[in-house]
Amino acid sequence: MLMASLRNLLFRRVYTCSTTFYIPSLQLVRPTSALLPSLSTLGHFLPAPRISGQAKEWRCLSPLLASFSTSSEASTNEASASSYLSVRIRCRKDVADMLSDALLCFGASSASMDEPDDCDSTDEISINSIFTECQDVGACISNAAGSIGLKDMPSYVVTMGEHCDWIKKTQESFHPVKISEDLWIVPEWRTPPDAQATNIILNPGLAFGTGDHPTTKLCLVLLYSLIKGGEFFLDYGTGSGILGIAALKLGAALSVGVDVDPQAIRSALQNAALNNVGPQEMQLCLVDSMGNPLSAVGTTDGNVKGQSSHGIRLVAEKEKFDIVMANILLNPLMEMADHIVSYAKPGAVVGVSGILSEQLPQIEGRYMQFLEGMSVSEMDGWACLSGRKRITKYS
Amino acid sequence: MSSLKEILTRRPVAATIRLTVPAGAARPAPPVGPALGQYRLNLMAFCKDFNARTQKYKPDIPMAVTITAFKDNTFEFTVKSPSVTWYLKKAAGIESGSSRPGHVIASTITLKHIYEIAKVKQSDPYCQYMSLEAICKSIIGTANTMGIKVQKELD
Repeated sequence: MLMASLRNLLFRRVYTCSTTFYIPSLQLVRPTSALLPSLSTLGHFLPAPRISGQAKEWRCLSPLLASFSTSSEASTNEASASSYLSVRIRCRKDVADMLSDALLCFGASSASMDEPDDCDSTDEISINSIFTECQDVGACISNAAGSIGLKDMPSYVVTMGEHCDWIKKTQESFHPVKISEDLWIVPEWRTPPDAQATNIILNPGLAFGTGDHPTTKLCLVLLYSLIKGGEFFLDYGTGSGILGIAALKLGAALSVGVDVDPQAIRSALQNAALNNVGPQEMQLCLVDSMGNPLSAVGTTDGNVKGQSSHGIRLVAEKEKFDIVMANILLNPLMEMADHIVSYAKPGAVVGVSGILSEQLPQIEGRYMQFLEGMSVSEMDGWACLSGRKRITKYS
Repeated sequence: MSSLKEILTRRPVAATIRLTVPAGAARPAPPVGPALGQYRLNLMAFCKDFNARTQKYKPDIPMAVTITAFKDNTFEFTVKSPSVTWYLKKAAGIESGSSRPGHVIASTITLKHIYEIAKVKQSDPYCQYMSLEAICKSIIGTANTMGIKVQKELD
């Protein structure tokens, strides 16, 4: 029986020599957590679980076979983007908080603790920790345990998680959202509750804009009151394209969506297709953080890198749009105020949101020189500021 | 102590999640995605909220977030500034602390660095009642455990 301190020293030295060794008190049972039903168990003995593409094939075989794999895996770096390591660690309740913090310091992406039920009489609690795929789980846990003074290495089980699992889980929580009497935002996989109303079908994916955030609602309500028909609309920071598509459905002639994130452009393209919006009606443009256009795509072009000179020309033209909306964040709104307002015709409406009510004075101060007749709408601590672009210069 | 109303309307807690997210750069992708997705929390709402609240920090510094998820799929979160060890490593210009603190010195920093770090940490929720001097002492203690020497001035 080794002394605790000697054992810790042994772990560290053995690790630096990169030889393989057993981790004592390892749980071999399949985790029965209801939260991760679709994962397979790969009980690991090695400190460096490099789960390669081979792991995917193992899932078809019986889990018992997989749990005895002690051979070193060939390291292929594919599949690193589509999976992550989920580790379930058992430790005493009183050290759980400190261990979570320590895990974060030593390389875990996150550490979550389920709240124990009152009828749970055991002294132990489980921490679910997530690591990126190429990390050394054993070393991280032993360092974390050592740093808070735990004598024993806590037992843990490593499972492989697929990103599609949690994506699916979050999608389940999207419901149709009612903006006004006849405007609804409906996720792609649900049926619209009111078939007569204007329904915008959305599949947000990994881009911002599902319709149920207060700022999106504020912007949509503003659009609903502004659009009379035939306007040119610019959505700065389009995310999933929700504002652009809504404007078109409400009667605008042309929508241009701009974003710095290629994922957002992809998502907006998809959503435009879902709502039968053609390339003549909606143009999307990828810009850099200073607002310079990088590339533009028509809605029939699925490739973000496709060049559409018409789109870039449209975006680069100043004073072309009747309505300009920017639902982003405080810092970009402050920095790019000139840029955003320059796209609006004189007398056109400019709306900005994505700001907390406490950040409103800053935005008002910055936009005062461009806009007159400013009005503010607020919901749940978020605010939306709108005004008309000054025709004469502010003196 | 919480008021009676708070106790009566306290929602049952499902889980506590700890994460490190760069300020102003939360996205519904790892690390945020898998951690919150497990509990069916609204990722977009969290990302937008977190980004808006961390606008006042320099972009991309890693903030420690603690999220309390309730059983009805709502959540609350608190944001803390990065850990003292992170600030010390940045100030000293090193990647990791010394392997044998007390014997091997990893780097040196000045009292001015400690003072700056203490000022940032004072706005943290759990440090607000401490005097600046007490925060400095605690930071010097952490520096000692990392093997970073503190000098009056750099020579």
